[in-house]
Amino acid sequence: MSRLTARELTLAYEDRTVVHELDLAVPDGRVTVIVGPNACGKSTTLRALGRLLKPKHGAVLLDGAELAKIPTRKIAQAIGLLPQSPVAPEAITVADLVSRGRQPHQHWWQQWSDEDERAVTDAMERTDVTALAERPVDALSGGQRQRVWIAMALAQETDLLLLDEPTTYLDISHQVEVLDLVRQLNHEHARTVVMVLHDLNQAARYADHLVAMKQGRIVAEGHPQDIVTANLVREVFGLASVVIPDPVTGSPLVIPGEPWTPASRTDVAGGDVPGRSPQGVERNHRQRTNAVPERSAPEETPRHGTDPNTTAPPRDPAATPRTT
Amino acid sequence: MTASSAATAVGMRPAGYALVRLGQGRFLLHRRAAVAAGVLTLALATVCVAYLCVGESNVPPADVLKVLFGQPSANELVVGTLRLPRMTVGLLIGAAFGIAGALIQTVARNPLASPDIIGISQGASALTVGAMTFGITSYAVLPYLSIAGGILAAALVYAFAWRGGLHATRFVLIGIGFAIALRSVTHLFLTKGDYLVAQQAQIWMTGSLNGRGWDEAAPLAWALLLLLPAVLWAARAQRTVSMDDDTATALGVRLGRVRLGLVLTGVVLASVATATAGPVDFVALLAPQIARRMTRTAQIPLLCSALMGALIVVVADLLARRLLSPTELPVGVLTAAVGAPYLIWLIIKGRTGGKA
Repeated sequence: MSRLTARELTLAYEDRTVVHELDLAVPDGRVTVIVGPNACGKSTTLRALGRLLKPKHGAVLLDGAELAKIPTRKIAQAIGLLPQSPVAPEAITVADLVSRGRQPHQHWWQQWSDEDERAVTDAMERTDVTALAERPVDALSGGQRQRVWIAMALAQETDLLLLDEPTTYLDISHQVEVLDLVRQLNHEHARTVVMVLHDLNQAARYADHLVAMKQGRIVAEGHPQDIVTANLVREVFGLASVVIPDPVTGSPLVIPGEPWTPASRTDVAGGDVPGRSPQGVERNHRQRTNAVPERSAPEETPRHGTDPNTTAPPRDPAATPRTT
Repeated sequence: MTASSAATAVGMRPAGYALVRLGQGRFLLHRRAAVAAGVLTLALATVCVAYLCVGESNVPPADVLKVLFGQPSANELVVGTLRLPRMTVGLLIGAAFGIAGALIQTVARNPLASPDIIGISQGASALTVGAMTFGITSYAVLPYLSIAGGILAAALVYAFAWRGGLHATRFVLIGIGFAIALRSVTHLFLTKGDYLVAQQAQIWMTGSLNGRGWDEAAPLAWALLLLLPAVLWAARAQRTVSMDDDTATALGVRLGRVRLGLVLTGVVLASVATATAGPVDFVALLAPQIARRMTRTAQIPLLCSALMGALIVVVADLLARRLLSPTELPVGVLTAAVGAPYLIWLIIKGRTGGKA
């Protein structure tokens, strides 16, 4: 069953079409992760699922009704969304920010209820930010701040939760912490989660349902075990790799091809043909295309403003023709 | 288990807020803001008594209180007929400018965005002065023209700043541009117009409370009373616009409408105040920022901005009356003397986010 579906969704920023006639059914009670190279339209798709972007054609449906026709406050009672770089009001305290997640449940004359109090307390306990309650959000570390934002989205108490790159800017332990939290939430309350992630291996670890996108289209979707193969990685990212089972979880683990060495320089000098290296791995891909999002993403994503992934044309023209 | 349920029972209310129950209604009251409002009210009351006491002839506070409570007094004329209505106009326009500034600064997310900086006061001036030079000098018509001018200017700025959404910085920059252009238009009218009219217009344009009485105070009070529901709505709506656009939308806020509503409320308040006393510069810029520094709230506090605006205008007018006595200064000169350095400081500081 899917409460949230996209039907022939075409998304565009002004005249530039970013997503083409995309069909997607978000499985209820599961963690769905969207992956793909920069500018493939994954964040754009997530924004449309959360009605932040109006479709050019097609529609996003919530319980069979078009999102565009549901009052935005009603949507906010069903779908929670955490944007990529949310901005907190200056000098706001943690508890104040988390309590704003209750907005869609409040009324002018009923600005605070026992229900609000319970939801906020609960959300803060879950994300382990209770001790920070009176601290200003400005003064927190990146990991703490991200937990506070997730607490705000949780306080909204929606069945569906959309997270746009929730692990950006976090170091690896905080990344794992956030992803574990997401999984725990999904497990304990059967919340449906849709996330955009940059790291293919994290996606493969945490997703029940993986959606691989490229150039505004879905290339493959399904359980990570079923779809993540070296061929898929090559097709989607233009990256040569080896896929092995994750020694801890058994989920697919993508190991990129051999890194550049001085020896490989002579191999590719003057030539632009892939697959010539004696090792039989197209290692020159990485060198020329820079298409290893899981490594380069944090540096590439700006701290402020909108995601260039969704607003800039593909940066990586070398990667695409080779894979088609 | 017991510990966790006890913690849940205590509950997590946003720090610094108290819960106020009024019948079925429940409201969150920011404690520090409530204290600040109390302090400001006391200060305002003191200043008001001083305002009524001090003047060409000094009246003892006891007599002032007598007049205020309707008991017969020898100073009935000076206090009750001359100073009280003038002060009332000052209080009301101060409050109106304070709220107007708070709302527009909230929407623009920029402390520079106040009605006297982004062209609203200038729009009111241009239309009013234009009408004066064309021979329309009736005070039955001019205030309405002034309101229309302010709203028209705001609509133009809003329309030019709109590009599939309201861009805050563009809104401020276009507003400043319009303010300059409209000021030139006003000066064009002034140089074209009759000498006497120009002089009268000049005084109005600086912002003056001289000669304002109950005839001006009453319609102003009515206008503000009519706007009260909008202001109460705005106080709540303000909370959500202080977040980024995506987060606010995700929380179910109709951002476009809310912003328009907030700007419109602010513009009408500023225009009504300007119509009564002229553009008293910098009150709308200063009051919200000082108020926010007092309350340390996440958004600009409306009630405290109103009280602060009233306080600034009444103090400034008291000084305007007495500083070069017997010559009286327009109140706008005093507010500009304080406000202009503050504006320069804001720009030098180079921060546009609001709180320091």
